[in-house]
Amino acid sequence: MAVKKMNRYVTLLLTLLLSLAVGFVFMLILGYQPLDAYLQLFRGAFIGSVNLGTTLQKFVPILLTGIGFAVAAKVGCFNAGIEGELYLGAMAAALTGHYIKGLPAPLHLLICFLAAIIVGALWAAIPALLKVKWGVNEIAVCILAGYVAKYITSYLCNGPFSAGSGVPQTPQVEEGVILPYIMEPSQANAGIFIAVLAVAAVIWLIYRSTIGYKFTTVGLNPYHADYMGINSKKVIVQGMMLSGALGGIAGAIEVLGTYGYFLDNFSLNIANDGMLSSMIVWNDIRLVPVMSFFIAALKAGALSMERFAGVPRSIVDTITAIFVVFATMETLFTIKKKRKAKSGKGGKKE
Amino acid sequence: MSDVFNLSLIYATIRSATPILFAALCATITQQADILNIGTEGIMLTSAFVAVLTSFMTGSWLIAILIAVLSGIVMALIMAVANIRYNAHIAAIGIAINMFALAITKFGLKQFLGTSGTFTSPDIAAIPRIHIAAFDNIPVLNEVFNNWCVTEVFGIIMVVVLWFLLFRTVWGLRVRCVGRLPMAAETAGIKVRALKYQVMIISGILGGLAGAHLSLGYSQMFADNITNGRGFLGVAAMNFGGMNPFLVWAGTLLFGFIDSVGSRLQSYGLPSQFVLMLPYVFTITVLAVAMWRKSRKEIKAKSAL
Repeated sequence: MAVKKMNRYVTLLLTLLLSLAVGFVFMLILGYQPLDAYLQLFRGAFIGSVNLGTTLQKFVPILLTGIGFAVAAKVGCFNAGIEGELYLGAMAAALTGHYIKGLPAPLHLLICFLAAIIVGALWAAIPALLKVKWGVNEIAVCILAGYVAKYITSYLCNGPFSAGSGVPQTPQVEEGVILPYIMEPSQANAGIFIAVLAVAAVIWLIYRSTIGYKFTTVGLNPYHADYMGINSKKVIVQGMMLSGALGGIAGAIEVLGTYGYFLDNFSLNIANDGMLSSMIVWNDIRLVPVMSFFIAALKAGALSMERFAGVPRSIVDTITAIFVVFATMETLFTIKKKRKAKSGKGGKKE
Repeated sequence: MSDVFNLSLIYATIRSATPILFAALCATITQQADILNIGTEGIMLTSAFVAVLTSFMTGSWLIAILIAVLSGIVMALIMAVANIRYNAHIAAIGIAINMFALAITKFGLKQFLGTSGTFTSPDIAAIPRIHIAAFDNIPVLNEVFNNWCVTEVFGIIMVVVLWFLLFRTVWGLRVRCVGRLPMAAETAGIKVRALKYQVMIISGILGGLAGAHLSLGYSQMFADNITNGRGFLGVAAMNFGGMNPFLVWAGTLLFGFIDSVGSRLQSYGLPSQFVLMLPYVFTITVLAVAMWRKSRKEIKAKSAL
């Protein structure tokens, strides 16, 4: 996009400061202690192994869904339905994890992830195919399909695959496929290694492989790509499927690592946070990990901010959303700079 | 099946279609100027909260609607400034606005009403219903036309008003011109930016009405994410109706119909999740079919050349 490379980091920092300042003023007006709130936020995110572990646990799905959104953006699609892919992937992992028995653990784990990846990718293929075939707006379809996915999984874990315990959840997965906790007593689990591997693979794929080159070309200009002999429609579908697969992996890690079963409505818009973290950095895949870690920290710290500073934790979401609103404005700081440059000139003349 | 398909289904359809109708009109007016208003959901959610809050505080539904409309305008203007002045991608700012709305209403619920999740109170002044005493003894008219919510009638009026505005006024012609080809519009002396701001303000008004109706007319409460995708269904209905207010209205009525039939089928043992899923599945299908027909038409038109 139009923002220059060097400028990017400066802009990002300025945006961050601006949104923190808005949050500061906001809290001040409502009669809270903003400095104390930010301090508690920081403590709640990093100090102590429980807090840091919670940050890491929240980091994994935000990272994967964020990267997923960025990959789709690479081919010029807004995959606003990663939440749905996450739910379906989680359900696929939970079912294969419980109902397949007697396999060696590594193979079983692989099957769980493959199931999640396939389901996620296929679900994302629906809006992609509708887009390339008939030009249906993918944003609308993605969002609507997300609701459908959520209700499908809700039906499955309430009805045919219910654990029968009164709680809407599926039965516990087999012992062998559970990803162990790495920072007890928090819920941080070995899934983070899988996530990091997956993200490294995607970054390699996008920046170092032919497929990635095709993605970038199609994303910049599909007509140009077609002219060069790249089938842009096929590439768009591939990009969306990769994006959906990442959502599926995120769901699988939540089930196999954090919970051990599929719990109805467990995600509570995790994918939204992933989407935010990607949108803030203008879908730059290499910056998404940094931003998703930041957002995960905000999320983890919010709870202790509420407890110790008395500020409702939804203010964190509000500040994050303000951050995104500012970040989407491409020319927010460029215009200010131009003005400064002009006034600078004026000063010289005098 | 007589307890599924009967006369009261007509009003049930209108009832569940109206919130989507306002949202769809909110998306229609901007789409005519080539602005895809994904933020409909967010505008609607914010104003739904503001409506409940004002209604609870002042006890007047009219003031509540006014303030809700104002808040809708504010949200729409944030989008407009971001998109028109600062070059934000319209889908990106739309999604951002939706998340902002989700967060700020959750925060507001805790901050100003002291609860989280759901807020109901007998002190919320609801939008009144029109009771026509003359219909009381006429069974058909009574069942179909009596006790409509004021905003439900107003929604239908808005369809006509919007149609008139878009297709029978100079202003509407200019808006559609900007939507088709902004550069040509500019050459013809139309102030494109100003027009886009005006369109966004009107969309804010309609989105505000959508929210106010949802929380004060359709129900008398506010809950986290009370809109639950109705804004997106509105955007879909706009696509379905090809930006023509009357066709858009027909689209929302279809959704309303499916929604009410679905909820009646629940007593026949249809799992609730399928009932809830129905409007979304239906919308995707309808969207796909509508666009499929459009692309067929285009191919035919091309081959005729």
